[in-house]
Amino acid sequence: MRSSLVRQVLILAALALAPGVGGAVYFRHKISWRSSILPSELATVDQAHAWGGNVIWVDARPDDEFASDHVPGAISLNEDRWNELLPEFLAAWSPGKRIVVYCSSLSCNASREVARRLRKEAQLPDVFVLEGGWEAWLKKKK
Amino acid sequence: MKTHIIAFALSIIISLSARAELKWEQTALELHPTANDKQAIGHFKYQNTGKTPVHFKSVHASCGCTTAQTQKDEVPAGGSGEITATFNIGDRTGTQVKTVTVETDEATNQKTVLTLKTIIPQQLELNPTFVFWKQGDKPDPKTITVKAGKEFTVKHIKVTSSSPDFQTKVEEKGNGEFQIDVQPQETKNIVASTLTIQPEDSQKVFYATARITNAPTVQ
Repeated sequence: MRSSLVRQVLILAALALAPGVGGAVYFRHKISWRSSILPSELATVDQAHAWGGNVIWVDARPDDEFASDHVPGAISLNEDRWNELLPEFLAAWSPGKRIVVYCSSLSCNASREVARRLRKEAQLPDVFVLEGGWEAWLKKKK
Repeated sequence: MKTHIIAFALSIIISLSARAELKWEQTALELHPTANDKQAIGHFKYQNTGKTPVHFKSVHASCGCTTAQTQKDEVPAGGSGEITATFNIGDRTGTQVKTVTVETDEATNQKTVLTLKTIIPQQLELNPTFVFWKQGDKPDPKTITVKAGKEFTVKHIKVTSSSPDFQTKVEEKGNGEFQIDVQPQETKNIVASTLTIQPEDSQKVFYATARITNAPTVQ
């Protein structure tokens, strides 16, 4: 009786898992909506603070969010107005500076994209994405 | 025991057939806007195949660059409609994947993730988009390579420097490839220039920056 009940539970669990497993196999080649990032390309709030004045903070969020609040001294650089904002950012950059890009951590990919373009298109070194994003910075500020 | 299992399965089937259910025509769309388009718009169509109304609880886009709108808050049994997702291209390039999360009051599948993949055509690819010299460096020319995108034919480009402190020279390499040599007059002062690159017979403008920077920061 007991073994029969266990068997039925296992069968039902397997049936419940089947669509998920099938989907994972079927969509295995589909791209993710989050671009991949190496651990060495991430920086924590503490690391960025430790770099002191040698850091340029880059805010990748939309204009309205930047206008509402941002890391003191941060430069706005988002992909809505990339062509217009990039020269302003480059005016603040000099060799040896570390760049820390952040956006909202709530399912946003903007900081990764901005960091990727700074590395690939402008060919700048020492570009990092802030781990935990804007929310992590706010939490540390408190 | 077998009778119990069959009865249980039947009760589930009956309850499933009676519930409200949104069937999506597609939950993933691929859009191909033109080079001049400012927005890419996707239409995710659905139908309520259940016997009770479905209510949208929330429709949330993954990023500020995407908005999503429902036509109505309630979908009656048998009713259909669509969610319109609008992706603002801005100055984005390449393949962009954004999502819209839809929450309903259905008994199951309350959350559906709609995926909008947008392939933005790139007429010209610049590499790099930034060239710089440190103060005191020898003012040797630096090169920006320009390549036409796969679907585009570009025979000539026009390059303009916003500042006379930098000279530019364009060399046509053939097959839609060009080489721009950028050279500062001197590197004593911190100066910058925006280089405007425009393909012949096109309204689209591309930008690069040339700059004399200060010496590296001591770490």
